[in-house]
Amino acid sequence: MKAGEDGTYIRRLIPYHRVLHVFVQLSFFGLVSTGMPLKYSDAPWASWIMRFWGGYQNAGLIHRICASVTLGYFAAHLLFLIYYIGFVRKFRFDFFGPDSMVPRPKDFRDIYGSFQWFMGLSPRPRFDRWTYWEKFDYWAVFWGVGIIGGSGLLLWFKGFFGQFLPGYIFNIAIIVHGEEALLAAAFIFTIHFFNTHLRPEKFPMDTVMFTGRLSLEEFRRERPLEYKRLEESGELDKYRAKSPSGALLCISIPYGVFLLLFGFFLLVLILLGQFVY
Amino acid sequence: MRALTGGSAARRGIIVLWVMIVSLLPGLSLAASQSYCLSCHGQKGFSGGYVDQKRYEKSVHGIRPCTGCHLDVVSYPHPKKVAEVDCSVCHLAGTFGAPTQPARQYWLSVHGQAVREGVRNAPICQTCHGSHYILPPSNQQSRVNRKNIPHLCSGCHEYEYEQYMKSIHARTFFQMHDEKAAVCYDCHEEHRVPNVTQPRWELWVVRECGSCHRRELLTYRDTIHGEISRLGYTTVARCPDCHGSHDILPPSNPESTLYKGPNRVRTCRQCHPTATVSFTEYYAHPNMHDRARYPLLYYTHLFMSILIFGVFSFFSVHTFLWAYRSVKERHKTREEK
Repeated sequence: MKAGEDGTYIRRLIPYHRVLHVFVQLSFFGLVSTGMPLKYSDAPWASWIMRFWGGYQNAGLIHRICASVTLGYFAAHLLFLIYYIGFVRKFRFDFFGPDSMVPRPKDFRDIYGSFQWFMGLSPRPRFDRWTYWEKFDYWAVFWGVGIIGGSGLLLWFKGFFGQFLPGYIFNIAIIVHGEEALLAAAFIFTIHFFNTHLRPEKFPMDTVMFTGRLSLEEFRRERPLEYKRLEESGELDKYRAKSPSGALLCISIPYGVFLLLFGFFLLVLILLGQFVY
Repeated sequence: MRALTGGSAARRGIIVLWVMIVSLLPGLSLAASQSYCLSCHGQKGFSGGYVDQKRYEKSVHGIRPCTGCHLDVVSYPHPKKVAEVDCSVCHLAGTFGAPTQPARQYWLSVHGQAVREGVRNAPICQTCHGSHYILPPSNQQSRVNRKNIPHLCSGCHEYEYEQYMKSIHARTFFQMHDEKAAVCYDCHEEHRVPNVTQPRWELWVVRECGSCHRRELLTYRDTIHGEISRLGYTTVARCPDCHGSHDILPPSNPESTLYKGPNRVRTCRQCHPTATVSFTEYYAHPNMHDRARYPLLYYTHLFMSILIFGVFSFFSVHTFLWAYRSVKERHKTREEK
């Protein structure tokens, strides 16, 4: 397999999703690193980070800009869903099919099968296009943006909401906002990082989210059902692609490694804030 | 060897004798100067200033001679105008074991600064402590005894005194005789008297309130106000911003800045101009662990905790087992190769 050779790779993600994911990443890191000094204000690192941002006013501004980006990509994704399901699939989208993110009975069978495989009781379950942990990540973002975004908007526009909602709604909002953010950050920096990048098969990182492409061999091994389905329907050739260019990898690998390390750094601070101080 | 030790013993004897004589000297000179000075100043109604010998001797400086402080008086007749006593001669230098910390703190205080800048009537040591009859602060009769402090400060800070006397602190102190209630120097620190417009004091005073109001400080720290002020910023609500300062009253008092209704709305509007009555139902001192008082917060927190615990319980087991299996599989494929 030579670099740039045609057909040795498979296209898994369209550029629209890859770009949206970069927005997800950047806004997420911005939100976490400006929000956590408040939640863990008793930790000594909190005031260092606040000083790094140039005061809580600046950190608040960055937090709100990143929040706007978050709501932006959320809206962009909803628009995509309408476009894809309505215009591309003409409303004949199978919500419980392999291309859908909606959980289906097979996902629960796969969870069971995975635990059996972990314990050496059976071979690995054969996955289709989206595995159960990928669906979990997807819905976690949905739920997270809804919960953190909703409570965040409430706190952002407190003057407006305070006109007709009782003030203790802000007390509830800040608990929900902070704890859900803790869940999201700690989840991304441990479970998501492991599931997608750090497990031995992928270590140190999986570049598919940046390049959109996966080698045919890996594709066949990781998504056997999808491979078989595409091969049988003859659609496989439709998704064949060139291997990702060196330039793209030169950008995406350092970027990805940087975010991994940055995530671990924030994780250490969160753990210190949660358990030490 | 023996000669040497013998000689040193003799020398030691001489030193001890010398120390005894020297240590008697102040007593001698005290007796001399006091009786000499008091032959005029000890007479009631003496135009040059009467000193009550008995009261002087009971004061903390009672064993010191007059000339120990009135350094410019060295002989009689002394100059008509005797200089103001400079306490720093002992209390900055530590002479005769005099405590130096209060003077050093005073010198950096707003009071000391005013003196340095030459402000007329700026308070010097004697302004608060008096001169001849200084008693230890623990003495009920002392000018600086805890219960005399508000009255003492009122000499200059009349308005603040009037405000303070209306407060719950004054009422607790003077009517309920609870000496733990705050008086002026609990917040303004007797000698240090920091500038109240400086951020350092503005942040410090929050902890000072919390030294008595512990639970309130802890619950305040759980709000965005408390978090930002803990990070060192003063542009958020601190205790006095909502509760008032000198005329502080419990929120249940209709006169309080935090009494439910228009008072509280007015207080919140200092920072939140659109605050309404419903807005002011915010809990400024929430406690999400208190199920009886804050059931909504308690169950919200409980729900979030269960969610976090559930997600991490499942995925940590999932992740560790997966890691174990993946490593094992890799070993297997390597061996097969």
